[in-house]
Amino acid sequence: MFIFYDMFKQKKLSTLNAKIYHLFILTFFLIILYFYFFYYFKDEHISKAYITNQGDNTVSIIDLNTLKKIKTLKVGIAPLGITILQNKKLVFVGNVGTDDISVINAVNDKLIKTIKLDTAPLSLASNPDETEVYITDWFKNNVLTISVEEMKVTRSLKVGKTPSGITFNKKHQYQIITNRDANTIEIYNKNYNLVKKLKTGDHPFGVYTIGDFAYTANVYDDSVSVINLIDWSIYDFLVGAHPYNILAHNKIAYITNTVDDTLTIYDLNTKKEIKTLDTGETPENLDLNVKLNLLVVTNWGSNSISIFDTQSLRLIKEIKTGAQSRSFGDFILQ
Amino acid sequence: MKKIIFAIMAIMLSASVFSHGPTPQKVQESVTIAASPEKTWDALKNYSEFKKIMKVRSFKDKKMKIKYELIKKDIPFSDYNAQIRVKKGANDNECIVQWTARFYRTYKLNPPIPEGQDDATAVAAVKEIVGPGLAEFKRFVESK
Repeated sequence: MFIFYDMFKQKKLSTLNAKIYHLFILTFFLIILYFYFFYYFKDEHISKAYITNQGDNTVSIIDLNTLKKIKTLKVGIAPLGITILQNKKLVFVGNVGTDDISVINAVNDKLIKTIKLDTAPLSLASNPDETEVYITDWFKNNVLTISVEEMKVTRSLKVGKTPSGITFNKKHQYQIITNRDANTIEIYNKNYNLVKKLKTGDHPFGVYTIGDFAYTANVYDDSVSVINLIDWSIYDFLVGAHPYNILAHNKIAYITNTVDDTLTIYDLNTKKEIKTLDTGETPENLDLNVKLNLLVVTNWGSNSISIFDTQSLRLIKEIKTGAQSRSFGDFILQ
Repeated sequence: MKKIIFAIMAIMLSASVFSHGPTPQKVQESVTIAASPEKTWDALKNYSEFKKIMKVRSFKDKKMKIKYELIKKDIPFSDYNAQIRVKKGANDNECIVQWTARFYRTYKLNPPIPEGQDDATAVAAVKEIVGPGLAEFKRFVESK
């Protein structure tokens, strides 16, 4: 640029050349501005894990690109369940000690709203449109609906005994819950009508669904039930001791075994275990970031999360969070 | 007026006592023992006192960690699982023994919770086992 400037001075370029020169400088700055904003917004869009720490009433926020804890946020008492609205960038956290929901804005990680309930929220899920958040009410056998627009409870649905895990099947538009003490899974349609109720293994807690299948982690008989949502057939497979939650991706299932301190990785096609990995103490819940190939497990016992590489199936890092980390539900902002 | 204040206080108190959901309780205590981790780990594996109250579910030599479940009956807590692990201390002849217990209160249905079946009772009962248990184990190892 300075060479051009010298040329401009020495050779006394014509007015036309001067205009070209100014245009050149302008273009140059525009390019710099473009890259500046590109990186600025790119940095804004980071994947984050939100960890509910039931023992100290906080949520730890972990940057999954740098694998560092970036913030600790105070919420209600005894936070447990969680769900994230990926497009609306809202995080819903259920506090079982104060019977309310803390809503976090995932853009600036600030608490924006507390929704009062008249019961303890156990687990949370949302519909794919992100207009509703569903909450299982373990004590009163209800599933509550929160309108995201109104930020209040708009509906209460009577369900089977001790509703525990909840999830939403996008393909079939089913709301699916586990009844822990009744050993059943219940499947509801969009109009809140019961479509099917099936027996699972003993003490089904965590539930996951994708495509034509639902999976339950059965705590007392160390198994997972696989439910076909079309022909309603069901089969079980054994995992480690006291499985708590399950997640499946590309026909690979990941299961946390709370008493073994392990993660079972199971091939749903060949119906064989691929590997068992060590986690922190009392691993409870898990979530995936498919783009980064990361699997995050919350460790209630060691107050931490274990981060695994889903390609190499190796532990990458264990990060300290808060007391009694749980995050029951989807907890990664993709 | 007094009655109204009393009523409000009673409601507030009951809300704070009964609003806890089915939350697992945690008791985690540690003791520093003047012996090497290896020696302590050997002692822990053969220690009979813990086996009177808990059944060994599994143990890992590499991680020096034993998992237990409860065999003791008539206790004010339920679904008890515990692990005891030996960690390195400040020097070669010192180690830390950590006992972590996870359990629930006995009453798991709708509030109100009957007296003696709540979270506080469960935690106190487990602490009564863990604290003296670790102290006794420390005496056992250090006297060997």
